[in-house]
Amino acid sequence: MFSGLLEELVQNLKKLPGIGTKSAERLAMFIVNMEKEKAHELADSIKETVDSYTNCIVCNVLSENEICEFCGALNRDEHLLCVVENTQDVYLIEKMHEFNGKYFVLGNLLSPIDGIGPQQIYFSKLKELVKSAKIKEIILALNPSAEGESTINFIASQLENVEITRLSVGLPFGGDIEYTSSMTLSSAFKRRFSVTE
Amino acid sequence: MEISSLKLKNYRNFADYEINFNSVGALISGKNGVGKTNLLEAIAYFAFGKSFNTNQDEELINFSKAFFHISAKFNLKNRVYQFDVGCDKNRKNIKIDGKNISKISELYQFLKIIYFSPNDIRIIDGSPSLRRIFINQATAQYSFNYLDSLRRYKHILKQRNSILKTNFDTSEKKIWDQQFFKSAIEIIKIRIDYLQKFSPILAEKYFQISGEREKLKTKYLFSFPQKLESIEENFSEQMKKNEHQEKIQQRSLIGPHLDDIDFEIDDKSARKYASQGQKRSLAIAVRFVQADLILKKGNEPPILMFDDVLADLDRDRVGEIIQMLEKNHQIFIATPNATIYQNYELPIVKLEGFSE
Repeated sequence: MFSGLLEELVQNLKKLPGIGTKSAERLAMFIVNMEKEKAHELADSIKETVDSYTNCIVCNVLSENEICEFCGALNRDEHLLCVVENTQDVYLIEKMHEFNGKYFVLGNLLSPIDGIGPQQIYFSKLKELVKSAKIKEIILALNPSAEGESTINFIASQLENVEITRLSVGLPFGGDIEYTSSMTLSSAFKRRFSVTE
Repeated sequence: MEISSLKLKNYRNFADYEINFNSVGALISGKNGVGKTNLLEAIAYFAFGKSFNTNQDEELINFSKAFFHISAKFNLKNRVYQFDVGCDKNRKNIKIDGKNISKISELYQFLKIIYFSPNDIRIIDGSPSLRRIFINQATAQYSFNYLDSLRRYKHILKQRNSILKTNFDTSEKKIWDQQFFKSAIEIIKIRIDYLQKFSPILAEKYFQISGEREKLKTKYLFSFPQKLESIEENFSEQMKKNEHQEKIQQRSLIGPHLDDIDFEIDDKSARKYASQGQKRSLAIAVRFVQADLILKKGNEPPILMFDDVLADLDRDRVGEIIQMLEKNHQIFIATPNATIYQNYELPIVKLEGFSE
């Protein structure tokens, strides 16, 4: 429908998650109709952010500095390492204000269908980190999907001399036992805890 | 459980159609090709989230239209629920009381419909994959979580098969083997659990239908030999044995995706040896048992739909079968010949042909 630069913009916007052709066209029209100054601000902000963000050399978290705020922090417990799939997960865990250890981002989960094996996740880097740092416990905060489970089991089978834990799987708050899968329910049962806790 | 109203827009041959039903159901009559099956198909869509005739939703859209929309009101447990399905070429949206559902299993939890199809005889004598579809659907209607477990199993199977197609690292494959094992055993156990309830009732019903002459057994056929004590041991034993062969064939050679069931009449496989009449009665009995188990478990009688299946049986047998029904089911019968059912006091819905 569009042509030239406008069409190129539409195609570029379509690369964003959740944006289809229609939304992309609407956004593109909106952008070209914006006050020039505001639109330039948007463009500059995208460019600057992209240019200045890079993966932390220690833990792979997307960061403005070579070493991210978490790896650089002095008041964080370096005995605890939380392993997550991506940077977004780090911020979710931060929001909870309960964890004060360090992080490690894998970038992906094992998935043979997508051609992702141990070489395609930052596993060897994790292994090196565990060897060199004073980590006592690794917390695997990965999705309880088939891919997450496999990644958890793989990491657990390959690392030695460190305690490895994973997040508990069970009933969600506001959930309903009747509609809970038997796998979830059995996990909730195995990991039941005292009511005084 | 009952459907009280149905609206169809651009669904198959119905451009715009609206109908109310009462709690006993309806006898849907009309000439061949007026859309009797389509009407039943639309009702069943709400229970299964898809058509019982095709996996391609696009085929359901009225010729030359861009979308279809169907909606219905169902009464269950003294409450009215509004169901909506909207579908175009790219996506479909299913809503319960105006809220999008996130997965099809939510429909299975709500609506129970048993559809007696003229093709049900294929459950008895068709390919194993048809019996797997049957056992999966029947188990899913009975056991809330089965569908999610099955989806998970199929997903893990796909991952494992794709690892078998690569030059894999043994430690990585072992991880997927463990998950495959766990998930396969879960599926098999839920199925066997269902069959254990299913099989004695089927034996009883079939004994009745056959004039108290024939004995019926339902067997679960494993895709791996049963030599050791537990299913787990047998499965892992065969997984070890298959290791080399699976590497060559690049796919998983055992598992619930290859298991089957067999019906035996007087110790002979019905698939191979039963007569047409025996198979037809057995297929009907199978559907009845499915309905019976749902009723027993949830205390909510499922909706029964007969798509011209009783017409081939003689009148006495039709009478017997109708008597087997609990009185409180809502029943839909589609037939070109309404007169054979005139004793059953169902309101008649006559579908007229469209301009030809």
